[in-house]
Amino acid sequence: MQHIRNFSIIAHINHGKSTLADRFIQICGGLAEREMVEQVLDSMDLERERGITIKSQSVSLTHTAGDGKQYTLNLIDTPGHVDFSYEVSRSLAACEGALLVVDAAQGVQAQTVANCFAATENNLEIVPVLNKIDLPAADPERVIREIEDIIGLDASHAVSVSAKSGLGVAELLEQIVARIPAPRGNPDAPLAALIIDSWFDNYLGVVSLVRVVDGALHVGGRIRVMSTGHDYDVDAVGIYTPKRTPKETLGAGEVGYVAAGIKDIHGAPVGDTFTSSRRPAERPLPGFQAIKPRVFAGLFPVDSREYEGLREALAKLRLNDAALQYEPETSQALGFGFRCGFLGMLHMEIIQERLEREYDLDLLTTAPTVIYEVESASGEVGYVDNPAKLPPPDKIREVREPIIRADILVPQEYLGNVINLCVEKRGVQKKMIFAGRQVSLAFELPLSEVVLDFFDRLKSASRGYASFDYQFVCYQPAPVVKLDILINGERVDALSCIVHQDIAQRRGRELAEKMKELIPRQMFEVAIQAAIGSKILARETVKALRKNVTAKCYGGDVTRKRKLLEKQKEGKRRMKQFGSVEIPQSAFMAILHVGKQN
Amino acid sequence: MSTRLQPPPVSLYVHLPWCVRKCPYCDFNSHGIGPGAVPDRAYLDALIRDVEQELPQLHGRRFQTIFFGGGTPSLFPAGAIGRLLEVLARHDAVAPGAEITLEANPGTAEARRFAGYHGLGINRLSLGMQSLDDASLRSLGRIHDSAEAIRAAAIAHAAGFTRINMDLMHGLPAQTPAAAMDDLRRLVALRPTHVSWYELTIEPNTAFYSAPPRLPDEDTIWDMRVLGQQQLRDAGFRQYEVSAWAAPGHECRHNINYWEFGDYLGIGAGAHGKLTDVERGTITRHARHRLPERYMKLAGTPAVVVRRQELAASDRVIEFMLNACRLTEGFALALFTARTGLDAEALAPGLRQAADRGLLAQGAGRVQPTEFGRCHLNDLLQWFLPEDRRVRATVQR
Repeated sequence: MQHIRNFSIIAHINHGKSTLADRFIQICGGLAEREMVEQVLDSMDLERERGITIKSQSVSLTHTAGDGKQYTLNLIDTPGHVDFSYEVSRSLAACEGALLVVDAAQGVQAQTVANCFAATENNLEIVPVLNKIDLPAADPERVIREIEDIIGLDASHAVSVSAKSGLGVAELLEQIVARIPAPRGNPDAPLAALIIDSWFDNYLGVVSLVRVVDGALHVGGRIRVMSTGHDYDVDAVGIYTPKRTPKETLGAGEVGYVAAGIKDIHGAPVGDTFTSSRRPAERPLPGFQAIKPRVFAGLFPVDSREYEGLREALAKLRLNDAALQYEPETSQALGFGFRCGFLGMLHMEIIQERLEREYDLDLLTTAPTVIYEVESASGEVGYVDNPAKLPPPDKIREVREPIIRADILVPQEYLGNVINLCVEKRGVQKKMIFAGRQVSLAFELPLSEVVLDFFDRLKSASRGYASFDYQFVCYQPAPVVKLDILINGERVDALSCIVHQDIAQRRGRELAEKMKELIPRQMFEVAIQAAIGSKILARETVKALRKNVTAKCYGGDVTRKRKLLEKQKEGKRRMKQFGSVEIPQSAFMAILHVGKQN
Repeated sequence: MSTRLQPPPVSLYVHLPWCVRKCPYCDFNSHGIGPGAVPDRAYLDALIRDVEQELPQLHGRRFQTIFFGGGTPSLFPAGAIGRLLEVLARHDAVAPGAEITLEANPGTAEARRFAGYHGLGINRLSLGMQSLDDASLRSLGRIHDSAEAIRAAAIAHAAGFTRINMDLMHGLPAQTPAAAMDDLRRLVALRPTHVSWYELTIEPNTAFYSAPPRLPDEDTIWDMRVLGQQQLRDAGFRQYEVSAWAAPGHECRHNINYWEFGDYLGIGAGAHGKLTDVERGTITRHARHRLPERYMKLAGTPAVVVRRQELAASDRVIEFMLNACRLTEGFALALFTARTGLDAEALAPGLRQAADRGLLAQGAGRVQPTEFGRCHLNDLLQWFLPEDRRVRATVQR
């Protein structure tokens, strides 16, 4: 155990985490040269494209250190986005140390701060690393000051590297061995292995990435999942080098995979503990939480015949994504679909994109909403994840909305803009610390405001320089109302939204105007109204299209004219038929595009 | 499905693919060429080889109409056109009283040939006026001006043509409804017996498509349409198709044959044809090589046809409707059966949907688009497109 080092890399997107991991693998010989694909660990296309890591992975590296001894370095890759902060925390819990990789030109970013705090909470030894040191814009001294001021970490011994060129990486490997403590655990105690991540493999069933804390995992042994009490026989254990390499045993302190014929990832939840069935541990490892989605949206197939296909695709995605929730939803406007729960906006986008790309589905997504806590007049408390289902005002005693704490780092020159934005979004300032060129801000904000367009707005308010991270704080009473959209006098359930009553009037007007822009002129006039209850707030009209006819068609044109018709029909097919009105997909997202200008 | 097919009348379309200059709105198969450089002899040789190869496919039917289209057919001297007509006469391929149309550019050079054309037995002239306003003509890239056009009209009458079509566009760049009405008034004064009055549309693969001009907005164009319809009616024309207006008895029989889903043989570079084989129960579309040089080389051999498509039942439904619903009077269900070989039942679901939306009316064995349906013909036709085009679209993606 003395020769094992378990560590993660904490870094902001594009600060060089994956490149550094690649360099480690190259130096430690985990792969032949021809097997080196750029960014080996991000295995999903989507991950590589977006430059983010969605699933946790690990790689066991063999390194002969300056002392002549051979060490096993287990790098546990963490998801790189705020939506997956729970997974990050479990990855960190499996380590004794972490590399804090900061771009020597860009400096500290909010996400780095949040993850760094999580690492300190887990008592990890943090090794600051300044990456991209060879860039002309690198300013190591400023960045060291930022690390010390904002994170409160001694950065005087920060290691300077260029992951791209390999400069300083060998020295960094030495520092990992020297500064990160060896794992402590009791090989003779009952088995306790932390589940870092689980995924579904077509051949092995559920495979879990685990960190063995105490005891050992043997092939053929019988293990128990502590939260469920279910027992399984271990079929296989092993490590990733990064190739899957089977072993007989994973001992205390080691990181690797285990497959035990578990059929469903919910059978091996992230953060849970595997123990031995014969000699169970007294208590599970700390920190297990059930995952709760925070953002909800309706997903509907554009073509109702694809409903079954959507159901199957969601079921398949859920095999590998414990955070994805869905249940059937019926909308008058959109027909049969699913109300899905996501960790956050990015998670939602990823799922949507995978459904469309990998399963070739045409989807219509309703605007994202948060989950409200609703206390009825009779005092019962329920949760509403769909604006259309908010009971009428007289049936409600109180509605409570989720509040998050947003940690924002922003260069001083954009501070005013960012504060204005947070205030506009009903934020309450909690903290403001000046650190070098940057300001560290904390605001409490309603999550409902964040899911709308906060990311985009923050980006434009700071020219892309602000970084942002958040966590759920509590539910708070909020004077909200349901805003309905009526098309030709009929309420369209999928267009309802819940808004703060102070801005309801304005939102209604903006939304009606936006809908007018988005709904194309068609055969008949379309009346759009925004209403709260029976009170009409705004009214817009999409004038009827006067004509839709091809001026010329002679003998040679038939094939071309027919293609034109087919294209028009395909365009219509991508719209949703509501009575005699065709509503384009973009209209269901209109709420995301209003309220930008004051 | 073949048994109910009846041999439809057959027309001949002759494509002459050259123009002095290609117009920026034109998406037909035409190629710019200097005046006098048209290889008329070689091209006519090719047309003659082509038509002689095809005549046996007609199973004894004679051409009810012939249409020389382009391009600019009037770039060809009368003598050249005459060679083809002689060959047809020798084969007894032209029905007595056939309508024979030639498209002409209303320029001075072309007008000199009108009398010659008339002498060949060409009995209908179609003049591509497009506008009678010089600024508009320039914006359309036309090579003639309004004075030439007016002269050409007079020459056409003087040459003995009693059936004269004039093409006129509206919705031109920067055009006002008043200007469009002036244009129409001046055109009517030139005494056409037929007017093709159509809206300028920007088609893909044209110069206008890559550099779109500023066109009047939809509501302005609508105003032009309403005013123009009234003006044409007042001048004694009747609208019998989306863009076609005729004095009584002067409807274009050639085009009506397209719209009634009749047969036509298309010869010339890039020409399209549609032929019914009653015995085999097939309806086949074919297209010829687009490039004039290749066409001239291959004419007379089977390789001149580059695409051949047999129409399945679902194709016949949409293609019949695409044509027949353009006609103001609509069509008889019996015609549908005779031309497609399909039972009228094949139309029933679409007819019901379209009728429910007020797009068409039915009665006494006829189907007629309503005024509303004629304005929204593309919406009407949606109901007759085969389902599951999506499958094809997905495969193509």
